[in-house]
Amino acid sequence: MLEQSGFVNVRIGPPVDTFGGAGGESKARLFDVFGYAFLSRKPE
Amino acid sequence: MSDGLPVDPLALREEVNAKYRAVAVDPHGGYHFHTGRPLARRLGYDEAAVAALPDSAVEAFAGVGNPFSLGVLKPGERVVDLGSGGGFDCFIASGQVGSEGRVVGVDMTEEMLGRSRAAATAMGLRNVEFRQGVIEDLPIEDGSANVVISNGVINLCADKRRVFAEVMRVLKPGGRLQFADIANGKEIPAGALRNIDLWTD
Repeated sequence: MLEQSGFVNVRIGPPVDTFGGAGGESKARLFDVFGYAFLSRKPE
Repeated sequence: MSDGLPVDPLALREEVNAKYRAVAVDPHGGYHFHTGRPLARRLGYDEAAVAALPDSAVEAFAGVGNPFSLGVLKPGERVVDLGSGGGFDCFIASGQVGSEGRVVGVDMTEEMLGRSRAAATAMGLRNVEFRQGVIEDLPIEDGSANVVISNGVINLCADKRRVFAEVMRVLKPGGRLQFADIANGKEIPAGALRNIDLWTD
């Protein structure tokens, strides 16, 4: 969706176990949910 | 939904507002996500930068990743934070851009704005400002930002294309969008996508 919105040079960082040990962990595991960092740029 | 969105954006916004109002009032309440300093440690934030902040600036932090992990901000940069909450990421950004830079946090929740403004005042920060608004209609001037950051907020908006269009509008040419958010590796059933409660719990 970032590229479809016009952003370029999209990078995605490694997954982070955001919900591990929290109340939402079971739902997160059900759908394989992790946190990610995204970096992209508006064209010049 | 008639506009192709899985849920009513306004109903979802109210649900999100209620959830984060509760976090602002009681950041140590039991939520489905971690908060505060333990969360910042889990997500790999710079320990010295977090340790330098008072509890009031950290305890309502409820992000899902580290938007600074793919690049530290540069001194003097103009930054906008989408859904700034208690202000934690703005305060981290403030330290990175320094006194010549500027950080504007945008949040819709009155209680979060009160918390973030009080923390900024307590720390004597002069390069951070918080504005009330929604991220689908940012109260930010066209082409004014070097960087837009966000943490765990865009996933809570039904109309993500509109959010990204707003980011594109406020960024300068060549500006960066660096944010953290959740993504699912397994497909979520359409019925679950239409259940607003599952977006926030």
